[in-house]
Amino acid sequence: MSAPAGLDRATERSRDLRLLLAVLLTLLGVALTLVYLIALNAGAAPRLADLAYERLPSTGVQNPVTAVLLNYRAYDTLMELAVLLAALLGIWALGPAPPGFQRSGAVLAAMVSWVVPLLIVTGGYMLWVGGYAPGGAFQAGALLGAAGVIVRLAGDPRAGLPGEAAQRWLLVAGVLVFTLVGLGLMAFGAGFLTYPPTLAKWLILLIEAAATVAIGAALAAAYVGGRPPGPDARPTAEDEDALTPAQTPANPPAPPLDPRP
Amino acid sequence: MSDAALTHPLVLCIALPLLGAMLVTALPRWSVRLGILAAVATAAAAVALAATVWQQGTLHLMLGGWDRQLAIALRADGIATALVLMANLVALGISVYASGYFHDRVRVRSFWPLWLLLWAGLNGLFLAGDLFNLYVMLELLGIAAAALGALTGNRDAVAANLRYLLVGLLGSISYLLGVALLYTAYGTLDLGLLAAGIADSPQLLAVNAAAMTLMVAGLALKAALFPLHFWLPPAHANAPAPVSAALSALVVKAVFYLILRLWLDLFWPITGMAAAMLPALLGAVAIVWGSWRALRAERLKLLAAYSTVAQIGYLFLFLPLLAATPPGPARDDLLAALLLMAVTHGFAKAGFFLAAGLVQTNAGHDRIDDLGGTAQRLPATTFAIALSGSALIGLPPSGSFIGKWLLMQSAIATGQWWWVIVVTTGSLLASAYVFRVLSRAFGLEPTPMRFITDARAEVPALTLALVSVAVLGLASGPVWTLLGLSAAGVGA
Repeated sequence: MSAPAGLDRATERSRDLRLLLAVLLTLLGVALTLVYLIALNAGAAPRLADLAYERLPSTGVQNPVTAVLLNYRAYDTLMELAVLLAALLGIWALGPAPPGFQRSGAVLAAMVSWVVPLLIVTGGYMLWVGGYAPGGAFQAGALLGAAGVIVRLAGDPRAGLPGEAAQRWLLVAGVLVFTLVGLGLMAFGAGFLTYPPTLAKWLILLIEAAATVAIGAALAAAYVGGRPPGPDARPTAEDEDALTPAQTPANPPAPPLDPRP
Repeated sequence: MSDAALTHPLVLCIALPLLGAMLVTALPRWSVRLGILAAVATAAAAVALAATVWQQGTLHLMLGGWDRQLAIALRADGIATALVLMANLVALGISVYASGYFHDRVRVRSFWPLWLLLWAGLNGLFLAGDLFNLYVMLELLGIAAAALGALTGNRDAVAANLRYLLVGLLGSISYLLGVALLYTAYGTLDLGLLAAGIADSPQLLAVNAAAMTLMVAGLALKAALFPLHFWLPPAHANAPAPVSAALSALVVKAVFYLILRLWLDLFWPITGMAAAMLPALLGAVAIVWGSWRALRAERLKLLAAYSTVAQIGYLFLFLPLLAATPPGPARDDLLAALLLMAVTHGFAKAGFFLAAGLVQTNAGHDRIDDLGGTAQRLPATTFAIALSGSALIGLPPSGSFIGKWLLMQSAIATGQWWWVIVVTTGSLLASAYVFRVLSRAFGLEPTPMRFITDARAEVPALTLALVSVAVLGLASGPVWTLLGLSAAGVGA
C-alpha cells in the first residue's frame, strides 16, 4: 500500500512543480509583454524603415527586404551564410550519412521527375524576382533544398547533389563569392561590401545566385544527414536487380515489412 | 580612418579566416597547409590592427558606406584590440599544435573549416559595433564550438556538446529578446547610438532593465557563470586538446567580453552597485566552487575545465569595483587589471590544455594520480604545465599577479574588503590544484634513455605559457597605453 502512496506523492509533487513552473513562465511572459508595450509606446525614436525606403534608389534593388539583406546589412547575411555552412560541417563531422532509401516506384518516380524541375525553375524565378518583390536567395535556396529532399526521399542517396569534391565547392560558393566581392570592392577603394550604385544590381545578383546554390546544397546535404556517400553509393541498375526478385521486374521494390498477403 | 585604405585591418581580421575556411572546405586535401596559411595571415592582420590602433587610436568603420543607423559598424578600441591580439596569437599557437595533433584524415578535414569559422566568429565578435551583428557572431561561435567539441566522436563528447549547443542557443535567444526590446524602444542597433539613447531616456527604465537582464542572463549562461556553468566541464574536458584550449581560453572569454561591453558601454547609466553585486557574488562562489572541484578532479583536463569556471569568476568580481570607482587613474588601473587577468588566463589556459593534450596522447590517459614520471618523459611539457599553472595561481611575474594585486588593492580602497578573502582563498586553492598535478608529475621514476620531444606540439604550449608568465607580467605597460588610447578615442 505504501509504495503506490509514495509514488502518488512523488507524481503529485512533480505535478505541483510543473504547475509552479507554468505559473512562473506565464508571469514572465506577461511581464515581458508589458515591457514590450512600454517600448512600443516609447516610439519617439524614428524607426529605420523610413530611412531604408529613402535610401532604396541607390541600393540597386527595389525590394526593401533585399536591400536590407544584401546591401545595408550585407555583412550580417554573409555571416549567416557562414553559420549555415558551420551547421552543415558540424553534421558532416559527426559521421557518414545513413544509407539511402530504396528506389522509388513508378508513380513516385514520375511525380519526382515532374516536381523537381518545377522546383528548380521556381527557385530561379524567386532569385530573380527578389530584386523588386518578395523573394531572394534564401527563398530560392529553400526551394532547391526541398527539391533535394524529394530526390533523396525518392531513393537517391546523395539527394541529387554531385560527388563530395564538387559538393564542397557548391557549399562554399555563397560565402566565397560574397567575401571575394567584398574584398574586391575594398581593393578598388570602395570599402568592404560598399557597392558602387551603378554596379550594385549586378553584384547583388551575382552574390545572390551563388548564395542560392550554396543554401540549396547545404539544406539538401543537411537532410542527407552526414558526410556524402562515396561515388559508388548511387544504386545502379544491377543493385536494383539484386534487390527485386527477378520474376517481378515491373513491381516497385516492396518495403521489407509490406503486409500484402 | 580614411576610406582610401585599400586593406582595412578591421575587415581583414574577419575576412581572412572566413576566406581560409572556404578554401579549406573546398580543398580538403590541402587543409593543413591552407589552414596554417590562413592562420598566419589572420594573426598578421591582427598584429597590423593592433599597430594601427596603437598609432591612430580607436578605429571605426561603417560597412557599406550607409548612414550610421542603417549600416553595421565595426570598431576596435583598446579593450577590443588587446583581446583580439591575445585571441589571434593564442589561435595561431593552437593552429600550429593542431597541425600535428590530428592524424585521422576525416578529423583533419572536419577540424580546419570549423576552426577557421570559429576564428572568424571570434574576431567578428570582438570587433562588432552592432547588437544584431553580435547575435550572428554568437551563433557562429556557438555552432562551430559545439561541432568542434564533438569531434572526438565518443558518446560523452557528443552528449556534452549537444547540451552545450542547446544551452548556447537558449542563451542566444535570451540575448536576442533583449536586442528586440532595445530596437523597439530606440529604433537602432548601433552600440554608440543606443548608449546615447539609453543615457537620455531614464523614463524607459523598465525597458532598459528588462533588456539588460535578458541579455546579461543569456550571456552569463554562455560564459558559464556559476550556477550556469554546469555544461562547461564535460564539454571542455571531452573535446580534443586544441579545441579544449580554444573553448576555454577564447570562446568563454569572448562572451565575457560582450557582457563587459554591454555593462560598461550600454547599460552603465542603469547598472548601480546593487546590479553589480549579483554577478560578483556569483563570481565569488564560482571562484571557490570551481577551484574546489578542480582540486578534487581526477583527470587533468577536467581540472583545467573547472579552473576555467573559477577564472571566469574573477572577471565578474571587477563589476562592483568598477561601479564604486569614479573615472580617473584608479578606474583605468582597474580596467587594465581586468584586461590583464583575461588576457593572461587566455594564454595560460591555452598553454595548459595543449600541454595536457600532449600528456594524454603520450600516456594514453590523463588521470592525475597516474601521472608519475611525466616530468622525466616529457620535460618541456611538464615545464609548460608548471608555467601556465603559476599564471593560473597568480604567482609573481605573471600578468594575473598584477591583475589580482590591483583587484585586491581596489577592493580595500573601495571598502569591499570581502573580495580579498575570496581572491586569497581562490589563489590558495589554485596553488593546491596546480601543485597536486606537479607533485604527481615529478615522481621518482628513473629518467628514461630518451625524452619524448615533439616540437610542433611542445613549442606552442610552451610559448603560450611563457607569454602568460613572463611577457604579460614584465611588460604589461602597453595594456595601459591601449586603454588610454581607447578612452581618448571614445571620449567617454
